[in-house]
Amino acid sequence: MSANFEPNIVAFLCNWCSYAGADLAGTSRVNYPSNIQIIRVMCSGRVNPLYVMNALQQGADGVLVSGCHPGDCHYMEGNYYARRRLGMLKDLMEFVGVDPKRFHMSWVSASEGHKWKEVVEKTVEDAKEAGPFEGFRRRKIEW
Amino acid sequence: MKMDLEQLRKTAAEVVSRDDVKYLVGWKQGTYGYRVAPGFIEDAAGAAELIFSPLCTANLATYLTLVEQLPVPRGEEPDDRKAALMVKGCDSRAVTQLLVEKGIERDDVVIIGCPCPGVIDADLLAEKYPETEDLAEMKWDGEDFLLVRDGEETKIARDELLAEKCRLCRYPNPVISDIMLDQEVETWELAEDEGVQEIEGKDIDERTDYWAEQFEKCIRCYSCRNVCPLCYCQDCVLDRLNPTWVNRSVNFSENTAFNIARAFHLAGRCIECGECERVCPANIPLGKLNRKLAREVRDKYGFEPGVDPEAEPFQASFKPDDPEDFIL
Repeated sequence: MSANFEPNIVAFLCNWCSYAGADLAGTSRVNYPSNIQIIRVMCSGRVNPLYVMNALQQGADGVLVSGCHPGDCHYMEGNYYARRRLGMLKDLMEFVGVDPKRFHMSWVSASEGHKWKEVVEKTVEDAKEAGPFEGFRRRKIEW
Repeated sequence: MKMDLEQLRKTAAEVVSRDDVKYLVGWKQGTYGYRVAPGFIEDAAGAAELIFSPLCTANLATYLTLVEQLPVPRGEEPDDRKAALMVKGCDSRAVTQLLVEKGIERDDVVIIGCPCPGVIDADLLAEKYPETEDLAEMKWDGEDFLLVRDGEETKIARDELLAEKCRLCRYPNPVISDIMLDQEVETWELAEDEGVQEIEGKDIDERTDYWAEQFEKCIRCYSCRNVCPLCYCQDCVLDRLNPTWVNRSVNFSENTAFNIARAFHLAGRCIECGECERVCPANIPLGKLNRKLAREVRDKYGFEPGVDPEAEPFQASFKPDDPEDFIL
């Protein structure tokens, strides 16, 4: 892989904490890598594990799911469900040979602009280490 | 231990003659060789066909949810009689898990428990003792298996033929039953799960290569899903066209997505009956995926599916102190 590989990262952020946290990072002019494509969802519990798999299939090199801290969920318990499901997904992905560096989950609250920066930096760094995702990416068929 | 067939048939005949029972699902002799077919018994006379032997590997719990629900014609009463079901230890866990998920109602089913000393792996059997057209019978004989064919009896050591799922079985006795057919069998010493450990010993690239080789073989026949007693969604995400989660094309990318999605949807639900792996025409070791997830659920979350009918479903519940060491 080339040294200047820039990964594509898909980030699912919950509307109430992490999206606002990323917004705060922006308004506070915090510099963080621009490899992240943000998809806003209403709750991290809304992130279907198939989203993660589908993102990897369609060309993402890494996936990040971020939500409110446990106990802070706008919907009381959505992030607890997310934690259980995506934790299992991470184990399964690792078992079938997807580098665990490609999938991360974090808790970022609306006031943690700087934590968001650290999370993104860590995610991008890990995805760079793992390299371009060739595993089960959908290949374009050349007729 | 040996199952008393007379008693089994007598009990089955009694159950099936009850007014509130529509039919009984059990195992009966197949048409040739080692085959065993599911038997749908509707009257007491039919109960004479039933058998229970080491060849009865099929998990019949899948028929509880496969029943076609036709609309009731106007002016007729719906037939809400019960279905009776013969279950081994693993099958009874499937029934329990169905009860947990409200896939079936407890009042809709009569469970006839058959304590099971372990069934055989049909592939191994056919490899070592080639199958012929003649009907063959198998029995439990103390610790071992007894193959009866053409009036000839062959004693086969238990370790030679025991199915992988049975080597790892912790519940040989039905966990839930209305009628228990026999004395409970003693649980045996568990084997190490070498298949899963072997993969866990590999590094990421070797795992990718291993599963790439396996998933390349998949022909997407959906047998694994169809046979699974717990894959009973009316609208399965793997069939859905809008949105299309998994494309129909048979290639490595879609096959991997299919297999990950199938395995993931059984996380915390799979009761390790091994049916998916048994029916797979491409011999993909699906059991390894399921067992790995089941073990993670057991070790990390202290949850075991299909044991307690009052339990909360694993993926629809949480504990505030679930492990979160993977979170940044």
